[in-house]
Amino acid sequence: MTFHSLIKKLLNKPDSSRNVAKKRLQFALVYDKLEVRDDMLEDLQQDLVEVITRYFEIDRDALSLDIQRMEGSSALILNTPILAAKHRKEGGARAHA
Amino acid sequence: MDGKIIVVTSGKGGVGKTTVTASVGAALAKQGKRVAVLDMDIGLRNLDVVMGLENRIVFNVVDVIQGRCKLRQAALKDRRIDNLYLIPASQSDEKSVIKPQNMTWLCNKLRREYDFALLDCPAGIEQGFKNAIEAADEAIVVCTPEVSSVRDADRVIGLLYARSITPRLIVNRIVPQLVEKGDMLSHADVVDVLSIDLLGLVEMDDAVVVSSNTGNPLVQQKESRAGMAFNRIAMRLDGHPDLPVEDPMAGRSFWQKVGKKLGRKNRTAKR
Ligand SMILES: Nc1ncnc2c1ncn2[C@@H]1O[C@H](COP(=O)(O)OP(=O)(O)OP(=O)(O)O)[C@@H](O)[C@H]1O
Ligand SMILES: [Mg+2]
Repeated sequence: MTFHSLIKKLLNKPDSSRNVAKKRLQFALVYDKLEVRDDMLEDLQQDLVEVITRYFEIDRDALSLDIQRMEGSSALILNTPILAAKHRKEGGARAHA
Repeated sequence: MDGKIIVVTSGKGGVGKTTVTASVGAALAKQGKRVAVLDMDIGLRNLDVVMGLENRIVFNVVDVIQGRCKLRQAALKDRRIDNLYLIPASQSDEKSVIKPQNMTWLCNKLRREYDFALLDCPAGIEQGFKNAIEAADEAIVVCTPEVSSVRDADRVIGLLYARSITPRLIVNRIVPQLVEKGDMLSHADVVDVLSIDLLGLVEMDDAVVVSSNTGNPLVQQKESRAGMAFNRIAMRLDGHPDLPVEDPMAGRSFWQKVGKKLGRKNRTAKR
C-alpha cells in the first residue's frame, strides 16, 4: 500500500453515506437474486411430486412448498405427509416410473 | 458494410441513456465512422431534441418497419457532423407496434448501411427494452452513482447476459467533490458491486444541460469534461479498446490540493 492510498483509506470513513450506500446496495442485490417467481414455484412443485410419487404414496393436496426468507439467506421448505412407501423391485423405481 | 449494433440501456429512467447515445454517436462520426442513432423510445421521443433535429422529421422508425418508407428516407443527416444520422422514434404509436422479429430485420439493414448503430432504449425492462436488445451485438449499460440506479443496472445486466450479450458500463453524473467527501459512491464502488467491464466515466457537467438546451453537440465543446469523456468512450469503442479510463478524481487528489494551497500551479490532468 502506498502512502497515498493509506491516506485515502484513512479519509474513507466507514460510516460515510458513501459506504452506507455500498453496503445497502450489496445487500439489495443479494436479496433481489433470492426472489422467486410464483409460477416457478408451481412448476417445481409439480416436478417434485412426480419424483416423490415414484418412491412414496403421498397426499398431494396436503403437500406444501414454501420459500422461507431470512435476513441474507433463503430456505426451500417442503412438507408432505407420507401414506406409504412404494415397494421397489430389483433395479430401482426408475424402470417403471 | 458489416456494422455493429450497440444498445444503450439502464433500467432506471433519467440516468443519461439519451445523452450517451447522442454524444457517443456524434463522437464516433467525428472519428470518421458512418453512424446511425435510433430512438427506440416509441411514443416518447427525445433523441431528436437533444440533437437539435426535431424540426426536420418526416419519417420515423415505425414507418421503416411498416414499409412506409426506406431506411435512408427516415435517416436525418446531421448538418454539423458528417456521417451522423438520426432515425427518430414515432410519437403517436405504442411500443407494441414493433415486434422482436421486426428488430432482427431492421438491425440487418442497419449493419449493411452503417459502421455503428446506437439504439437509445426506453427506461424499464418491458417490451420497448426487449425490442431494443433483441438483435443487438453489444450493450452499454448506463448508471449513476446511486443505490437505485446501480440496482436497476444489475437487473438489466442479468437480462443481457441471459441473451448472451456482455455489457460494458458507463457511470454518469459523477460529482468528484461528493465522492471525495464520502457522500457519493465512487466508480470503483459501482464496478465492484456490478463486476462488469468499465467503458467510461462521465462527470456531472453543466455543459450537458446547455447542450441539450441548444441542441449543439456536446462532443464539439473542448472545455466540457463530459464532452471529452464521451470522445474517449468512442475511441474505446472504435480502435482503441485499451485507452485507459481516467479517474475523475485525478487532478483533485490530496497532494495536488496541498500543492494548490501552497501556490503551486496544478497540472490539469489530460482526460
Ligand atoms: N453528465 C451529466 N451532467 C449533467 N446533466 C446530465 C448528465 N447526464 C445527463 N444529464 C441530464 O439528466 C437528464 C436525463 O438525461 P437523459 O435524458 O439522457 O436520460 P435518459 O436515461 O435518456 O432518460 P429517460 O429514461 O427518460 O429516457 C437530462 O436533463 C440531461 O441533460
Ligand atoms: Mg432517454
